[in-house]
Amino acid sequence: MSDVLRLDGVSKTYLDGSDEVHALREVSLTVEAGKMVAVMGPSGSGKSTLLTIAGALESPTSGEVHVAGQPLSGMSRDDRSRLRRRAIGYVFQDFNLLPGLTAAENVALPLELDGVPAGKARAAGQRALDDLGLADRAARFPDQLSGGERQRVAIARAVVGDRRLLLADEPTGALDSATGETVMRMMLAACKRGLAAVIVTHDAQLASWADRVVFIRDGRIVDRTAPRPGPESLLAGEAAR
Amino acid sequence: MSPTSAVVAERPPPVLGKGHGGMPARRAVVRWAWRLFRREWRQQSLVLVLLVIAVAATTAGLGYAGSAGDPQAATFGTANRLATIGSTGAQADADLATLRTSFGTIEVINHQKIPVPGSATAYDLRAQDPDGPYGRSMLRLTAGRYPQGADEVAVTPRVAKTFDLRVGGTWDQGGRRRTVVGLVENPLNLLDHFALVAPGQAGADAQTAVLIRSTEQQFRDARKPDGMSAQFRGTQTDPGTITVLVLATIGLLFVGLLAVAGFTVLAQRRMRALGMLGAIGASHRHIRLVLVANGAVIGATGALIGAVAGLAGWTAFSHRLEPLIGRRIDRFDLPWSAFAAMLLLAVLTAVGAAWWPARAAARVPVVAALSARPVPPRPAHRFALAGLALLAAGLGALFTSHHEEPPYLIGGVLGVATGLLLLAPLGVAAAGRLARFAPLAPRLALRDLARYRARSSAAVAAITLAVGIAAALALAAAVSVAKAAAPAGGNLPADQLVVWLGPSGLDGPVPTTTPDQEAAARHQVDAIAAALHATSVLPLQAAMDPNGPRAGDSGGGRPVSQMGIPRHETVGGRTRTHYSSDEADPLVVATPEVLRHYGIDPASIAADTDIVTFRASYDGYDLFPTDQHDWRPKVQHADLPAYPSLPGSLITGHAMATLRLQAVPGGWLVRAPRPLTQAQIDRAEETAERSGLTVETRPTGADVARVALFATAIGIAVALGVLAVTVGLIRSETARDLRTLTATGAPRRTRRALTAATAGALALLGALLGTAGAYLALLSWHHRALHWLGHPPSVALATILVGLPAVAYAGGWLLAGKEAPALSRQALD
Repeated sequence: MSDVLRLDGVSKTYLDGSDEVHALREVSLTVEAGKMVAVMGPSGSGKSTLLTIAGALESPTSGEVHVAGQPLSGMSRDDRSRLRRRAIGYVFQDFNLLPGLTAAENVALPLELDGVPAGKARAAGQRALDDLGLADRAARFPDQLSGGERQRVAIARAVVGDRRLLLADEPTGALDSATGETVMRMMLAACKRGLAAVIVTHDAQLASWADRVVFIRDGRIVDRTAPRPGPESLLAGEAAR
Repeated sequence: MSPTSAVVAERPPPVLGKGHGGMPARRAVVRWAWRLFRREWRQQSLVLVLLVIAVAATTAGLGYAGSAGDPQAATFGTANRLATIGSTGAQADADLATLRTSFGTIEVINHQKIPVPGSATAYDLRAQDPDGPYGRSMLRLTAGRYPQGADEVAVTPRVAKTFDLRVGGTWDQGGRRRTVVGLVENPLNLLDHFALVAPGQAGADAQTAVLIRSTEQQFRDARKPDGMSAQFRGTQTDPGTITVLVLATIGLLFVGLLAVAGFTVLAQRRMRALGMLGAIGASHRHIRLVLVANGAVIGATGALIGAVAGLAGWTAFSHRLEPLIGRRIDRFDLPWSAFAAMLLLAVLTAVGAAWWPARAAARVPVVAALSARPVPPRPAHRFALAGLALLAAGLGALFTSHHEEPPYLIGGVLGVATGLLLLAPLGVAAAGRLARFAPLAPRLALRDLARYRARSSAAVAAITLAVGIAAALALAAAVSVAKAAAPAGGNLPADQLVVWLGPSGLDGPVPTTTPDQEAAARHQVDAIAAALHATSVLPLQAAMDPNGPRAGDSGGGRPVSQMGIPRHETVGGRTRTHYSSDEADPLVVATPEVLRHYGIDPASIAADTDIVTFRASYDGYDLFPTDQHDWRPKVQHADLPAYPSLPGSLITGHAMATLRLQAVPGGWLVRAPRPLTQAQIDRAEETAERSGLTVETRPTGADVARVALFATAIGIAVALGVLAVTVGLIRSETARDLRTLTATGAPRRTRRALTAATAGALALLGALLGTAGAYLALLSWHHRALHWLGHPPSVALATILVGLPAVAYAGGWLLAGKEAPALSRQALD
């Protein structure tokens, strides 16, 4: 099975005044199509940096990143933008839907930005919303949707079109547990359709939905766990460590 | 729930290709910008209101400028040549027949003077066809009907008032009784006071004017009557419209600078949304387009609302301007092309103002944008270097313009203005560096200005521009006052004035007066002299060729004979000779009274002397207007004044007889015991104006100083307006800090001081930069005579440098102090 995401020895260093901050150190990670990887770790451990580098939002200080077979090094800013709108979908904790656009327009936006005519893009967006059970919410604006609905719209936007990689940063952080589970189920369904997913979460129970869990601390991957079926497997894994 | 375990078909890597999504992407981005404008227009209402005001004011200004129209239309109608034939009777008929043969359609208008009792001025009895081919636009019936028969007349309201006439009444004028059948006016010149009779019903001695329409070539080649003079309609220029457009551009520049600050704040507020857009794949071009499209929407909306408001206001109130501009206004006759240009300019201003914040926002990394971290300011020295270069270039252009070269002058002013605008960030950065020496509130205020430099620099730039214009005008006025106070130079000594019969002194035609009119004028001159406690009143008689060309306007009169330097120019293969009034001496008759006034014994003038003059000779000069260009006068030098408006060249009776010139009253020279004050001048002008006379004095500079003070007040008002608009914007981004301050126990006084220090610092920076720029520009302009700048306008400068910051500080103190109601960061959905 092909790797949708591959990080080889990725490091990221920031300058904080005159101090160097090592956000990531020699991180290597591969995520295959159809697989979901959960990333866990304490605050400031480098989880979000890992996600932004994997999503071509930031460049690593060293190391190599491949997304859908494309090396990110040497890519121009415009090429990275194209890669993001064609292959990468983002889901954020605080939804980040664009106010002023309806749910359908939000979902269709990446396609329209890629040059797909508005009619076709809207149809694709509508289908994505249908798949997530939001057909009757398509014409509503974000502030007319509940939190769970907004996150489902965000997932629809992240998977619409020919996306390969789904990146989610605390996707259930602002949701209650029942809604959070619904959202996770939908992301899992997207993986079953062939997407690779990386999910950053603090929630061990949600991480147990993933095929693998990666623990990160001080910018280094300190453990990888392939949990047994069921949310409780993660706890077992941590206890064993 | 189990982990995913489905087998997934392998897919080829995505093809990235090129391009930015083309029209669908742009449409999607613009749609979002439009929706944002609809949702958040209140946050942008400031820029919108400023644009609406600017466009509405410009629309009204264009209407005003356009309604002034071409002043020549009031004399020429739709013709472009105005010929005057000196013949009467059968010869006049023959001359008119010649003109008809040469030019086809012509329109004849006869003018006869009607003396006004007790005044030097005269009204015009006009015989004109109301349906004439060229002159019909110069007539409008306001009551009754047009005269048709030989004994009918229509008059303008002023004539009716002067002679106590009414429609239906009779008017016994010059021994002829006419029935007043209507009230008329010249809609293109409401100050044109006349009585209208039917064509051919003016007196036998009436002057005949002929309106002609022809090309220059046709006119030159056509057969024309002997003794005919002609006036040519100048190329129609519309300086009023151009002035309004220039003022609108300056106004929109202010709006643009303020809009930069507003759009910068807007971009910061939308930073997370823009980051989100970037995260889902929008390129930097898309992100830039969001804000530029927003600017375009604001510009178009502001232009539309402003245009509607301006047009509505103009339509409703324009008729009130008619007495002011002296002509009827066609409220729908606007300069539409200039109007369209102004609307385009308004949209471009908003787009231009949005461009810079858009460019900056598009450069923010997506991760930084998603966290809504403020963008670190760009180093000020980059702008400063460009600013210094432009300032130096502008000053150099002014230095080398020699007060004559318009391209250097315009380039210099633009260079200095642009250079100052680009130096604003350096000023803001310097203020931030000085913050450490200041107490808490000013320290925070100055550092915030430096942190949010994009918007505070725009505010400083706008204030600099307003203050710079005001300071430059104040300095220029000070120079004018200094020049007026100088003991030598100028047109007249400071203790003398001349009351002229004609509006242009001896440089233009002198009206022909009857003895009664001359006596009435002398009576007014004596009144002026008495008010000034004058020590002498000297009548000045001008030399005039009675057979010379007559001035074509209805006032009549002929130009004064002058000695001038001929200048030749070739236009269209034909050489023309012209004389400039700057190089010409009007000839005043050497009466014994004038000679004695200047201490010259009339007996000392040789019998064959032609001209007594302060000049050594008249070599290279011609006598004009006359056929005797080759006349070479015998000159006798005398200690006559060299002031151009005093009689410096006196023509003797010998020369008058030789040249068959006629002495006509020209004016009176009044000498006061001490230099005239502006109040004395104003009173003298009022007295003279009532009688149709003109007063000439040495400029005191008081008028210019008044204009400069007015400009200073306007500049300060604009600067305070800028502050009122921008201080709120700047402080809104630091609302979080204000909450922190409040939470740590800072009293209301500290919060007030924070806003007051922000306003005061912006005002002081703008005042310093603007005044410095104005001084540098004036130093370059007057580099050959720097002593004129040795009399600084202390009041104006103190008002700008001390008053403006003080008022800004006080205003900030009074209007501030409330707790920030909410954090500035706007959450996404």
